[in-house]
Amino acid sequence: MAVESLSQAELILKQQEHAQHTFRGRVLVWWGVILGTLLFIFSGARIQIGPIVLQTIQFDWEFIGRVSPIIRQGVVVTLLLSATSILVASILALLTALARLSRVAFLYALSTFYVSLIRGTPLLLQIVFFFLALPQMGIILDATLSGILALSLNYGAYMSETFRAGIQGVGKGQREAALALGMTPGQMMRRIVLPQALRIVIPPMGNDFIAMLKDSALVSTLGFVRDLMWYGQNQGRREFRSLEALLVVAVWYWGMTIIFTWLQSRLEKRLARGER
Amino acid sequence: MAIIRVSQLNKHFGALHVLKNVSLSIDPQEVVCVIGRSGSGKSTLLRCINFLEQPTHGTIEVDEISVAVDQHRLSKAQKRAIHQIRLCTGMVFQEFNLFPHLSVIDNLIEAPVTVKGLPRERAIVIAEKFLDKVGLMEKRDEFPARLSGGQKQRVAIARALTMEPKVMLFDEPTSALDPELIGEVLEVRTQLAKEGTTMLVVTHEMGFASEVANRVVYMDEGQIIEEGAADQIFSVPCDPRTRQFLDRLLRTT
Repeated sequence: MAVESLSQAELILKQQEHAQHTFRGRVLVWWGVILGTLLFIFSGARIQIGPIVLQTIQFDWEFIGRVSPIIRQGVVVTLLLSATSILVASILALLTALARLSRVAFLYALSTFYVSLIRGTPLLLQIVFFFLALPQMGIILDATLSGILALSLNYGAYMSETFRAGIQGVGKGQREAALALGMTPGQMMRRIVLPQALRIVIPPMGNDFIAMLKDSALVSTLGFVRDLMWYGQNQGRREFRSLEALLVVAVWYWGMTIIFTWLQSRLEKRLARGER
Repeated sequence: MAIIRVSQLNKHFGALHVLKNVSLSIDPQEVVCVIGRSGSGKSTLLRCINFLEQPTHGTIEVDEISVAVDQHRLSKAQKRAIHQIRLCTGMVFQEFNLFPHLSVIDNLIEAPVTVKGLPRERAIVIAEKFLDKVGLMEKRDEFPARLSGGQKQRVAIARALTMEPKVMLFDEPTSALDPELIGEVLEVRTQLAKEGTTMLVVTHEMGFASEVANRVVYMDEGQIIEEGAADQIFSVPCDPRTRQFLDRLLRTT
């Protein structure tokens, strides 16, 4: 009886899986169609059907071929900018989350003040502020450093909420078991709570990194950080070919986002395996 | 000389008065079972002993370390004493509370290494001894997620024992288990009792209480109503409330 109902459940599951599979296949086909259409629109082809002449958009391929290697130089800067900032942001987020969960009024106030201030102002303003406003107080920062600082502070504030949720997501029973074994609150945090919280937090951190990859383009507005976006604008303006230059940049961002999204989903699956 | 002495213990949860002037003392090598309806305060009593719940008022003494609590905040000295008390009490929870990110052996040696500062190899020797005692040596490197409920609870018992406490506190250790898995946990506990481990057990297992306990304590509405030898409580309870509780229990089981 039990065996029979199990196999029935499995049958239904198989059917659902099959339906899901064919659906995915059709989605893939449509992706191809949409992409193909786009490529066709930008192919520069000229089609004549009777009296109707269809002129698609013409790229300057010679220009694309010439500037692509130049634009590519910005990739490393974009990646380094994002990676450094996400690292600093993670540390900030962890400290902020711990302060937010603390019973010390000053720490709680400090963390909520910081989060409120950062979330209440535009990222672009923060980036420009570090570069243009601080010199007035005698603090002169390099554009790259200003960018990293602003991105870190900004993402640290947003990510602190994720970290807080992760820390709180570790059950009360875990804390009690640690305390009952004689751990101090600090040991409990380091050895029991944080390792488990990290597992909860890593997938959303991946999302934040991907978002950072794109937001880092704002730093190019300072004019001195030669990231992907900067090269794109710079090369496009020079020959009045922004359409091509910006599309090359877009393809780079898009490609990197797709790759990191894929990596992140794999990481997520690996973390989910064998847990709980 | 009692190893645990609880005197005039009171606990309030807001307006709720959960423990009312509870006093209890336990001698070394004694096995004491606390029984009573849910909500009677028996778990809270247990959790007050190692300060997982902070008592509102009263004194807890474990192995001659005494902490007297009143409304004031805990002093540094009191916090130190509580830490000492936690070191000499081992606790087993209803929900096991194994650390899911650590393997079985790492669950066992975590506290000896971080809290007591034992070298890893030394901790492993002790841990393996207790893992063997609960009969789970072959699960040494598994992760908790891959164990059955009964196995989890036996690992949890071994984890508490690895700290070599003077007293074991059990908080309804079989209540979250499927009926067919209760036996293995009871067996381990009975074995510990035979070896002279001092135990305070909050339980619904009347069989265990009547066979193994030296003393049975019946609690109702935050008070100890009656305590005495297991035979006496189960055969000739003095208080009508104890009688009623046992009657209802025997009728349902």
